[in-house]
Amino acid sequence: MNRTVNVVRMQLINKQTFVWVPLIVLGASFAMSLAIYAILNSSGLEGPFYGGGSQAPLWVLLFVGISSLTLTFPFSQAMSVTRREFFLGTMLAAAGCAVLLAAVFAVGGMIEEATNGWGINGYFFALDWVVEDGPLGAAFFYFVMAMLIFMLGFWSATVYKRSGALLLTLIWVAVGALLLVAIWAITRFEAWGDVIGALVQLGAVGLAAWGLALTVVLGGISYLTLRRAVP
Amino acid sequence: MIEEGRALFLQIAESVEDAIIDGSLAEEAQAPSTNELAAFYRINPATAAKGVAMLTDKGVLYKRRGIGMFVAPGARELLLSERRTAFADRYVEPLLAEARKLGLGPEDLALLIRDRAGAQVATTTEGNAR
Amino acid sequence: MTTGTHVIEVKNLTKHYRDVVAVDDVSFTIEKDTIYGLLGRNGAGKTTVMSILTAQNFATSGDVRVFGMQPYENAKVLSRMCFVRESQKYPDDALPQHAFRTAKLFFPHWDDDLAAQLIDEFQLPQKTRIKKLSRGQLSAVGVIIGLASRAEITFFDEPYLGLDAVARQIFYDRLLEDYTEHPRTVILSSHLIDEVSNLIERVLVIDHGRIVMDEATDAVRDRAANIVGDASAVDAFVAGRQVIHRESLGNVASVTVLGALTLADRERLAAAGLDVAPVSLQQLIVRTTQRAASEGAATEEGALR
Repeated sequence: MNRTVNVVRMQLINKQTFVWVPLIVLGASFAMSLAIYAILNSSGLEGPFYGGGSQAPLWVLLFVGISSLTLTFPFSQAMSVTRREFFLGTMLAAAGCAVLLAAVFAVGGMIEEATNGWGINGYFFALDWVVEDGPLGAAFFYFVMAMLIFMLGFWSATVYKRSGALLLTLIWVAVGALLLVAIWAITRFEAWGDVIGALVQLGAVGLAAWGLALTVVLGGISYLTLRRAVP
Repeated sequence: MIEEGRALFLQIAESVEDAIIDGSLAEEAQAPSTNELAAFYRINPATAAKGVAMLTDKGVLYKRRGIGMFVAPGARELLLSERRTAFADRYVEPLLAEARKLGLGPEDLALLIRDRAGAQVATTTEGNAR
Repeated sequence: MTTGTHVIEVKNLTKHYRDVVAVDDVSFTIEKDTIYGLLGRNGAGKTTVMSILTAQNFATSGDVRVFGMQPYENAKVLSRMCFVRESQKYPDDALPQHAFRTAKLFFPHWDDDLAAQLIDEFQLPQKTRIKKLSRGQLSAVGVIIGLASRAEITFFDEPYLGLDAVARQIFYDRLLEDYTEHPRTVILSSHLIDEVSNLIERVLVIDHGRIVMDEATDAVRDRAANIVGDASAVDAFVAGRQVIHRESLGNVASVTVLGALTLADRERLAAAGLDVAPVSLQQLIVRTTQRAASEGAATEEGALR
């Protein structure tokens, strides 16, 4: 069987990492969100209720991304796997995970809309602006978000492996600084209206497209960094 | 069994030679294979092979194609004569040298040897008689 | 010994870490289907060399070829090699069987039966996570992967750490057994030289990043002798010979001297009332290395003045 596909199987040894933890977090945050909506609903509030709960499983992917490198890369080297095979195989595993999550979110969203928010006007999957382009658009959006967050974790771990904690910290500090500067500039030039308008124009799908581009860029950097990493 | 400070392949060859000399490995009998020797002494098969090759070169063993290594006819005599020469070099030469220092010539030495050998036989027969 | 079939060629390999030279202009070749001992002290550079050969680490300069090709990112070459390092990390929640099943995916010659037999002999607990295994059991996992992979070039990096004497003997026995039936190139790094001396066909000694010996084991085995006895008599005998070690207690000296002893030498020794003791491979290598190190230091000192 193809060695790259075998890397996927190797990553899935950690069923906990790639499968169970994301699912459990998804289930738990879903249950908790619904519980909160139910409480709010029963105390007379109308809704629609939105929460940040659906983000949780996505952020878990940050840790999935990190551990897919830190826990499995050294072992893959002992298995005489090339860095290229490891990278592609891991991306494949991540994509599989992302597709699954996206499917769950898209289908969940459709059910949500059909049942008017689980009968209590509470929304977990079907965020307004995400589902306005339809279930496929929503699925694409969630897929890209999952991949992007995974990649952030993977890329960070790769930089850490290659160059150590100091460089990684510096990079994140630099990114943070840039964001702060951007926020300051937008505020200074009172451009928030324009910025938000542009984002709304983009919509979920447009945003996802940019996210995909960023994912690819981070992927490229990770691969190049990985090529010189020592297990 | 395996000694320090001596080439392994030589020791392997010697152990086979010892067996031939004391008769436990007869002429025309099949000699232990390289792998058997390696497994028994827990050594690298290549080393065992080197020992066997040396014995083959010497004419002590020969190869029967498809079957294995066998002890060559006349091997025992060959080895005995080789060891006798080594014995003479190792023991007789220094013996003669030391004897000379003590003023004993080869004839005196021969007398001494016969004398002692006789005494040895006497004690053994005595021991056997009891 | 097979000739003309180098499976690994290393030319002028050097590895720097900032200001530390881990591997210093090392050159050697590895022949097919031979067991090598890569010997040296801890920190001498053994693991670094093996890492570079398997493209897990990178050379600062120099050339490495495996099967005539560069190993870096070369699946065709890497899949024919196996290197499980001494402190190998495994996926966090993996069980031993996960590691072996994965190894089966990537090593084309993997043998399940051999693995099963070894798991049994090393008494490896199947239900314990690898991260919870004892040091010896962890070594056993690495040894099993190395042996059962039947890779054409297999490296064993101090494979017996944590293994007790019985388990080590099992390893040596199984290695020889499997090597006899399925010959391959094996490079075994160790600082327990005497234990492995009967297994290895060639000796590669590395000290402070340099190769200080690259010879057939048997050629080295009888290279030295210990002369023991009255100090002045010993000194008289060893005059003009290469001495690599000297110890004394009162009047008695024990000197390790290089060079095979002739019959005449033995007579002289007997006449002088001196004893000859054999020198084990480990003693020889340790003492030669120590001498090389002190000579190196002396030359440096001289150069500084």
